[in-house]
Amino acid sequence: MSLLRRLLVQHHFLSNCSARAASSVARQKYDVIVVGGGHAGTEAAAAATRTGAETLLITQKIETIGALSCNPSLGGVGKGQLVKEVDALDGLMGRAGDYAGVHFSILNRRKGPAVWGPRAQLDRGRYKEFIQSELLNMPRLTVIEGSVEGLLVSTADPERPGKHRVTGVRLADGSNEILSSSVVLTTGTFLSGSLFMGKTTSPGGRMGEPPSCAGLTHSLREILGLKLGRLKTGTPPRIVKETVDFSLAQLHLPDSRPTPFSFINTHTHCKPEEQIPCHLTYTTPGVDRVVRESLHMNSHIQQDTKGPRYCPSIESRVLRFPGRQHQVWLEPEGLNSDLLYPQGLSMTMPPEMQLRLIREIPALQRADIRTPGYGVQYDFVCPTQLFPWLQLKSVQGLFLAGQINGTTGYEEAAAQGLWAGVNAGRTALSLPPLSLSRTESYIGVLIDDLVGHGVTEPYRMFTSRAEFRTSLRPDNADLRLTPKGFEEIGCVSSHRYLEAVRVRQGLSEALSALQSVTLSPSRWREKLRDICISETKSTLISGEEMLQYKDVSFNMVASAFPEILSPHVEFSERIKIEAVYRPHCEKQQREMERMREEESLSLPPDIDYFSLPVSLSDEVREILDKARPSTLGAATRLQGVTPAAIVHLLNYVTRTGRRSRAQRETDRRTKIPDWKHRPQTDQQVESNQNQEVGIVLQN
Amino acid sequence: MMLTCCRRSTFLLNREGLRLGFRCASSASSAAEPADTVFALSSGQGRCGVAVVRVSGPAAAGALRSVAGLSCGLPAPRTALLRSIVHPQSKEVLDRGLVLWFPGPHSFTGEDIAEFHIHGGPAVITGVLQALGSLPGLRPAEAGEFTRRAFHAGKLDLTEVEGLGDLIHAETEAQRRQALRQMAGDLGRLYNGWSEQLKRCLAHVEAFIDFSEGDLIEDGVLNQVDIAVPQLQMEIEKHLCDERKGERLRSGVQVVIAGSTNAGKSSLFNILCQRPAAIVSSIAGTTRDVVETSLDIGGFPVLLSDTAGLRDTGDCVEREGVRRARQMVELADLTLVLVDSMQLPQEPQMVSGFLSEYLKNVLPSAKDHEQRCVLILNKSDLLPKEHISMIQNILTQTSDMAPVSILSCHSREGLDSFLTLLQDRLKTLCGDPLAGSPSLTQTRHRAHLQKCVDALNQYYQYRDIDLALAAEGLRLGLSSLGRITGKVGAEDILDVIFRDFCIGK
Repeated sequence: MSLLRRLLVQHHFLSNCSARAASSVARQKYDVIVVGGGHAGTEAAAAATRTGAETLLITQKIETIGALSCNPSLGGVGKGQLVKEVDALDGLMGRAGDYAGVHFSILNRRKGPAVWGPRAQLDRGRYKEFIQSELLNMPRLTVIEGSVEGLLVSTADPERPGKHRVTGVRLADGSNEILSSSVVLTTGTFLSGSLFMGKTTSPGGRMGEPPSCAGLTHSLREILGLKLGRLKTGTPPRIVKETVDFSLAQLHLPDSRPTPFSFINTHTHCKPEEQIPCHLTYTTPGVDRVVRESLHMNSHIQQDTKGPRYCPSIESRVLRFPGRQHQVWLEPEGLNSDLLYPQGLSMTMPPEMQLRLIREIPALQRADIRTPGYGVQYDFVCPTQLFPWLQLKSVQGLFLAGQINGTTGYEEAAAQGLWAGVNAGRTALSLPPLSLSRTESYIGVLIDDLVGHGVTEPYRMFTSRAEFRTSLRPDNADLRLTPKGFEEIGCVSSHRYLEAVRVRQGLSEALSALQSVTLSPSRWREKLRDICISETKSTLISGEEMLQYKDVSFNMVASAFPEILSPHVEFSERIKIEAVYRPHCEKQQREMERMREEESLSLPPDIDYFSLPVSLSDEVREILDKARPSTLGAATRLQGVTPAAIVHLLNYVTRTGRRSRAQRETDRRTKIPDWKHRPQTDQQVESNQNQEVGIVLQN
Repeated sequence: MMLTCCRRSTFLLNREGLRLGFRCASSASSAAEPADTVFALSSGQGRCGVAVVRVSGPAAAGALRSVAGLSCGLPAPRTALLRSIVHPQSKEVLDRGLVLWFPGPHSFTGEDIAEFHIHGGPAVITGVLQALGSLPGLRPAEAGEFTRRAFHAGKLDLTEVEGLGDLIHAETEAQRRQALRQMAGDLGRLYNGWSEQLKRCLAHVEAFIDFSEGDLIEDGVLNQVDIAVPQLQMEIEKHLCDERKGERLRSGVQVVIAGSTNAGKSSLFNILCQRPAAIVSSIAGTTRDVVETSLDIGGFPVLLSDTAGLRDTGDCVEREGVRRARQMVELADLTLVLVDSMQLPQEPQMVSGFLSEYLKNVLPSAKDHEQRCVLILNKSDLLPKEHISMIQNILTQTSDMAPVSILSCHSREGLDSFLTLLQDRLKTLCGDPLAGSPSLTQTRHRAHLQKCVDALNQYYQYRDIDLALAAEGLRLGLSSLGRITGKVGAEDILDVIFRDFCIGK
């Protein structure tokens, strides 16, 4: 029955029927509702679906699902790591990038594989096409158009921490209510968003789209009592490509062999020779002049709302570092697009000044603007109010992901979306929520930074934020996350899992083979002529140790032992990286263990630090109360928390942990029948039956 | 669909597994984990009768054997044994004390523990802690680390933790106050300065890694780092070598009296040891050999030597005496250079030139006269008062001159101010043992500084091969320094990056 409905719904989308019609046939209750169809929302919806939850995605316009609203590019240093990790957990972003990329390059190629930054220029149309076709054809996922007016909230389940419990959402028109115990909000810059251009201000989160309703902000601020902050960002004008004189800019070519983002892709959709170039040009003193002359007409730049320090508007760059040449990248918007995206020229001055400004740049002296740049100011929810599984501490079942948490960037949004979706799905299915550790992923670093320290400016990922950067590499994201994603998290397909297991096995065999081949330094010198091996070295050197030399590749070592090593040539690039990093990663192991051990000790979220019957100073109580760390590990990273306080907390956690474990045990025994007698929709009956079948099969 | 459901049932199993797994892990991890071995002064700080130094971890047995000179086997468990405590490298005897051996798991931390009950003077404690720190695999314990280990090994009754938490609090409070005291001084400025420099270096490397592509960060930023890192490393190494204060305190400061014949060296020697230890006569060349005695001057242990007067002589015995005198001066921490005031030139203007020449003759190889010696103009009773004050005036105007004391061994005039001067010099040479506890902090500092120097090596090693690994070296170095000066987080680094560079992307 429900299957039929779903097919009907999908049929509607595929045949481009009105989405409103879809909403009228949509069921009124879902396991998970995701609000927003940006990078966070799409990953959240897909991830919740993968965990087995019946999911509804509500977006203002189906047509804009998967839209790249700012720059037409994906990845980079730090961000590329996030794309690889999202992919390793079977997210959409990496594969979408491989499908839509038109210019692939690995940044930082000369600086060591741990900090390589896989990056691509994208075709906007293709990216959207891929994401939409994935989502609209995904079983268990329904997509409707609509605007969410408010959240349905009831009193909290007293068994779990929190003051409120979310029960669903109310749509803006027709007071349509849809029920769900898990809701993921990914509203981006639309929360009380205002657009700025020159001296004019209008409500909205993105140019050309209706502003999101005030009702949601009201729900969050007034009803749920959440602490909100305000941030700003901006986007550059789009330039008509044929009006640009490329002969006055430097040509930048892509890698001749494009490297796919996804671990399950062997090549990109775009053929190497079909890739298109970028161009680089610079600002002139004329640009500085226009910025200064237009300052009085630029209300966005005069506001003191926090903008990012690393992706500043051209106005802030000129004001902070006057008299310099600033880089401007002219990036293609797609294979067939007639527009260019001038990376580095985001601006909010009046449109006529924008035109004057870009024409101060030689390559753009006759350029036309298709759509002017503008600034956005928006509310975000202070992320310290979240658990590491991205649920609000005070609202059971309400998850937040993306810019609403104070981050910037597609990759940061997608990473949170995926994680919020996974946990929304698990919560709906009565599975315990999960968190990722700083020791295993950039996603873990991102979320730990957000929930542990909050944000003062839009948060962006950098490799320098990861303590264990040499272990958390883009090349090994699959080994770090895919097996766990299948075995523990439940968000990875068996196809991807089996591939990761095969690779892990292959790498370990290749490493053993390399360790098994040893030669004296002089024999190696004979075999690999151009490599200088220290004359003083007298012991035997293994193949693995040889790979640690700068210019030695796997293939060179393999040429010395073709019969033993040639079967492993598939892994030649990865094994070279493994060999170089393995000794350093092993050194980090102990520190990682310690961090994991402390992270595994969770502090109850509703703990009252002021009345806690342990010996803590008032100062420490205040710090803990304010930050509300969810684990002992997070508590140790707070400034001002003393070692003695940690011992007391450790004592408290172990003592209460034992008690609450026993409590949970009894709860579980009494709860199961409860759950079985709950009124169920036919969908749930179907899945319960299947679950039993699954268990029988396994036995 | 089916697949999802199978997976879902695996979750339940896993959840079960995880929970059980955790319980095992928490009790097994401290035993299974290749924990390093830590040591610390476990008794109170400052001067006390007996001090207890505790070593916990897998290398405790090795440490006990090498420091207590037990080549064959360990003492019976939990039985006190009287041994000489020896520095494992220099073989110098540091103290005699009781050693105890508590093999794990029947010990406070559940690990192997060795305890040293030694005399409670700062010099002895410093000596033993430094000896332990020189052993491979041993490092000073962090605050509360013994307790934490005991707790993880399930060795503490949970009610005991309360008390121990307070103990750690007291301990860390004391450490914090002490660190604050030290941080306010020259040492603090020095360490903080290094930390700042290294933070800047790291920030520049991190900026180059995270931003250089597509931003205006040129390769030039790395050149600055390439210059700054070796300089920093050299400075820290120099500091580590110069830092002999603890050792001086333990073995005594070598103070040598030297000068030309008949200047009154032996008279001064006898005054300082308050007995006629050396023969004194008006005959030049009376003292022919080195006469030594150990003294306590203002609480500082001093090894004082009287030497033969420096002159060319045909007498082969005296010639040997002069050679020995010169050797003693070479090895001295402080030389008291005696001058016969009657030998000074009549013209006051020529006095400083004369004294410079004189110093050059006594201390030919020393460049830093100001630090290494005190000039003593003896026999002041034989000079007219006006002449003395004229000389004093001239000398206060001369820069680069060693500190000068004008006195008379005969009339004892000027002796008090000389003793004050001498004590000041000794204090500088030894550090003040009564301020805080140099023993604990210096050993910790030394270990962290050494680690920092080692980590900086990784920067050069990988500079041209893999910048991520090179940066890792700087990160490790900075975190070692951070353990002395306070931690440095990623945000601090990013602040420097955004302050120094215009990041466009």
